[in-house]
Amino acid sequence: MLRSTFLPFFISSPFPPAKAFALRAYLPRPPPVCKYSSSAQSPPPPPPPPPPPPTSAYVHLPFCRKRCHYCDFPIIALGSSTPHHPDTDPRISNYVQLLLREIAATRAWSDDCSPLETVFFGGGTPSLVPPGLVSSILDALKSRFGMCDSPEVSIEMDPGTFDKEKMERLLELGVNRVSLGVQAFQEELLRACGRAHGLKDVYEAIEIVTDCSELQNWSMDLISSLPHQSQEMWEESLRCAISARPAHVSVYDLQVEQGTKFGHLYTPGEFPLPTEMQSADFYRTASRMLSGAGYSHYEISSYCKDRYECKHNLTYWLNRSFYGFGLGSASYINGVRFSRPRRLKEYEEWVQKLEDGLVVLHEDISVDTKDMAMDVVMLSLRTAKGLDLRGFAKCFGKSLARSLCQALRQYVESGHVVAMDDDRNMLSYPEFELKMSEDSDEMGNAVASIRLSDPDGFLLSNELISIAFGIISP
Amino acid sequence: MAAAALCRPASFFPRPASPGQRRRSGGSLASVSFPSACRFPGPRPCRFLRSASSSPSQWGMGVRCRAAGTESKAASDAAVRSGEPGQDRFWVADSGRLEFIDSYKLLQLTGTVQMREMKEQFLDNMDLERERGITIKLQAARMRYVLDNEPYCLNLIDTPGHVDFSYEVSRSLAACEGALLVVDASQGVEAQTLANVYLALENNLEIIPVLNKIDLPGAEPDRVAREMEEIIGLDCSTAIQCSAKEGIGIAEILNSIVTRIPPPNDTSQSPLRALIFDSYYDPYRGVIVYFRVVDGSIRKGDKIYFMASGKDYFADEIGVLSPNQMQVDELYVGEVGYLSASIRSVADARVGDTITHFGRRAASSLPGYEEATPMVFCGLFPVDADQFPELRDALEKLQLNDAALKFEPETSSAMGFGFRCGFLGLLHMEIVQERLEREYNLTLITTAPSVVYRVNCANGDIIECSNPSLLPEPGKRRSIEEPFVKIEMLTPKEYIGSLMELGQERRGEFKEMNYITENRASLIYELPLAEMVGDFFDQLKSRTKGYASMEYSFVGYRESDLVKLDVQINGEPVEPLSTIVHKDKAYAVGRALTQKLKELIPRQMFKIPIQACVGSKVIASESLSAIRKDVLSKCYGGDISRKKKLLKKQAEGKKRMKAVGKVEVPQEAFMAVLRLEKE
Repeated sequence: MLRSTFLPFFISSPFPPAKAFALRAYLPRPPPVCKYSSSAQSPPPPPPPPPPPPTSAYVHLPFCRKRCHYCDFPIIALGSSTPHHPDTDPRISNYVQLLLREIAATRAWSDDCSPLETVFFGGGTPSLVPPGLVSSILDALKSRFGMCDSPEVSIEMDPGTFDKEKMERLLELGVNRVSLGVQAFQEELLRACGRAHGLKDVYEAIEIVTDCSELQNWSMDLISSLPHQSQEMWEESLRCAISARPAHVSVYDLQVEQGTKFGHLYTPGEFPLPTEMQSADFYRTASRMLSGAGYSHYEISSYCKDRYECKHNLTYWLNRSFYGFGLGSASYINGVRFSRPRRLKEYEEWVQKLEDGLVVLHEDISVDTKDMAMDVVMLSLRTAKGLDLRGFAKCFGKSLARSLCQALRQYVESGHVVAMDDDRNMLSYPEFELKMSEDSDEMGNAVASIRLSDPDGFLLSNELISIAFGIISP
Repeated sequence: MAAAALCRPASFFPRPASPGQRRRSGGSLASVSFPSACRFPGPRPCRFLRSASSSPSQWGMGVRCRAAGTESKAASDAAVRSGEPGQDRFWVADSGRLEFIDSYKLLQLTGTVQMREMKEQFLDNMDLERERGITIKLQAARMRYVLDNEPYCLNLIDTPGHVDFSYEVSRSLAACEGALLVVDASQGVEAQTLANVYLALENNLEIIPVLNKIDLPGAEPDRVAREMEEIIGLDCSTAIQCSAKEGIGIAEILNSIVTRIPPPNDTSQSPLRALIFDSYYDPYRGVIVYFRVVDGSIRKGDKIYFMASGKDYFADEIGVLSPNQMQVDELYVGEVGYLSASIRSVADARVGDTITHFGRRAASSLPGYEEATPMVFCGLFPVDADQFPELRDALEKLQLNDAALKFEPETSSAMGFGFRCGFLGLLHMEIVQERLEREYNLTLITTAPSVVYRVNCANGDIIECSNPSLLPEPGKRRSIEEPFVKIEMLTPKEYIGSLMELGQERRGEFKEMNYITENRASLIYELPLAEMVGDFFDQLKSRTKGYASMEYSFVGYRESDLVKLDVQINGEPVEPLSTIVHKDKAYAVGRALTQKLKELIPRQMFKIPIQACVGSKVIASESLSAIRKDVLSKCYGGDISRKKKLLKKQAEGKKRMKAVGKVEVPQEAFMAVLRLEKE
């Protein structure tokens, strides 16, 4: 009775057969009515095959010793005066119980569901969670969805929260990728941004990680544009990072969020934060130094050695579906994005409802074509690979693909946007203009893909993506 | 007399009253006419047909007139049938501040409107009017009032009070015998009060002074009455003290209308002459004309002739306004009513025109008719070029209802296709722009308003130029003349200094100063109309803490040493930003304008030079630096929803901008020249 009053949750109920699935390549659903392709010669795209099921899972482990000053993620600060050691803290074990319940209550995609290929433990500080509990989560995922032979299992670890023994234990459990939250190589900057660890912890952590010979795939996180950060400090951090030889480096430009301590204290671009110009220079410096050290800049904030892309994050950029578990986590299944409650109590109630089959999906099931086109543009333009205009035109119509090129043409001229042919050769601006004028109907095919240039286009990605948004949704 | 010249003004009242302002400032005119004898049919529910009508809009800032009509000493039914004239009296009220609520109270007291029909502020129908607290269109109502067992018929005409529409005001005054001069007992006489009183006196109206808002704690009825006597020379010993809000003094007002305002003359045997004081377009019935019968009578089905427009129609329907339209068969001399005759556009039946019979024409039309002359021009361009046909349709529709609105196509390399539109004043312009956006869903860029310049060309031609970008080259012109206005400001004496300063800054020529009372002075300046278009009124108010008021009238064209100031953004001339300024002010305006544009134009991905030039000479230059960085680096746990929201918002912000070459220029930038002195 009550059940009927709620919309069925996409995982906990069978799919209505009428709903079209589209996730071909990275496009989860076809446009139901393809407004853009209706204009002329281009026929509506053929009905695409059903979308591939998720093969990735994100697991949120929200515990931290304290909240960093820039952080606005859903976390649970354990505090320094806690009577419990993290290994025995009931708050952690209770939360993991809740996670296990959510995993168990989540219906598998289908009977012949594909096994998981990537698992990502994010936080929070997942390295605070005792390995035994991590193991139970992995077991639950395995039994619910299956796991492929060589999955990528990543975990975020913060200096000062693990020792060699814990590291080895995690590796034994199947963890094979580590993301180390170093953030900076200056004691004063670590303090300024409220990190719970010091410089000594950083070097120890690096030593532990690099000592594990079986762990080749590890990543280091750095933050640029911290308060009081100078160009020299930033270059020093990058040099230190390079000399530690991680396979992957993530460089995040500080985002001053409302409601954080930084949000109260600072205004972007004003002292002690670097000016917009300095901050842009930090970004360029990172791009230059890391590229020089053999890393490829494969996404706005990600660099890697050859073949060490984070497979899990690629799921996001390719707009593929993924499961999400835990406090505040996001999932994307069957074209529907859903974010779990960010407060523990509400999350707990939500899990209960999920178990009872009463979960209300907070958004309309029908996905707007425009929104989908925006997702594709926004995510793919973050990557060095860029936007595949052929695939885009197939899904959303040639005229829209053409309009996008039109709107961005002056940025092709200015070098912020790179147009490419089928062999991914860069088209010069005159070549691009020539292709555009050649055959207006075939335009969708004349330019095979576009990407933002590194670093100039990436640096202004918001501006460029919002121009594209304006074309998609005028 | 000041009122004599009070015609066709350009406006300078740009800002609406703050929303929610209950007490309205300003006054409007209401006339009440009572033709003889009509026994009023009981109120029947009938649709109040006042359609949202366009343009003439008023917004009384402090000054508002209310003309109440007369009562006619209605005899009896028999008297009506015999065509005996009703006795109408009209009253003008003015100025101070009579709220709409007043007319509403009058309606209530006379039983014209039933309790259940009462909407707050019954006469105000357009959303825009309610929001701005102004009357854009005239409203009229007829009421029945019994005094000493004799029934009277009163017609109330409520008029706009804003100077943009003073022509409409003058026509409704011409349709009355009397006027109520309503002055806010807490504020006193304002500049437009005087103008309206002069206008009323000129029309030989009996004036009944009324002091409103006596319930307010700050009300000083005695002082204000004294002020009225001193300034206007009106005997205020019999001034009626009232509070529209509290319902005090309403009966006294009605009684004095009956006793003091004279009945209309009996000219029922003369050929029909009826004065149009309002007209509006109804999409189903065509133009509805509001008129007062001055001579003769009109019957349903009569073939009528409009003497100014030269058009003839059959009066399909005539009726009275009570205030709902109620059909009658015949209207006699003195009566106020409406007619519908399948008229296609209000231009055919314009305010001030005289209606007569086609077969038995009057020898002469009623005096005072004027063609509408736009004083202020601006360009209207759709942000999205595809909306050009829609904009044209919308303007054509608005014009059906707004004889003063003029437009012709305009093309600009920067803005694409649009229209050059002429308005009575700045308020009129704003109203039209707002209605286009609100009712027709158009997104528009409005360029800064310009007055009409008269250019004496080298070859002897005289060209009228309302578009700065079309001003003939310096070599081809001998001189430029610009319209001048005479402006009268009333102010408490402590602000005389700052108003004189304002007058000097605006190239004003000081004419006269008089102390009208011990503490208040009248300042008279003559200055170019171009200096008044824009923020003059805002400045007047802000420099005097809102105490000063003003009134102005057109005095003629005079030669000035003017130059054209062009603006280049990113090296491209932006014609809609061109403006005509006095040579001595060119540098200052150029500097201020480039700085203002730098503030208003968002930074873009490249550096943008902004320059002001006179001819080929750059006189001011600014440069807008490029955005260096705009990137959201972290996409946490695949949760893209928040990031997407931000990007959508950013995309939304670009929509109200017009691409000028490669530069996205927001709407406000095109009005920048008006706002140079704001900060």
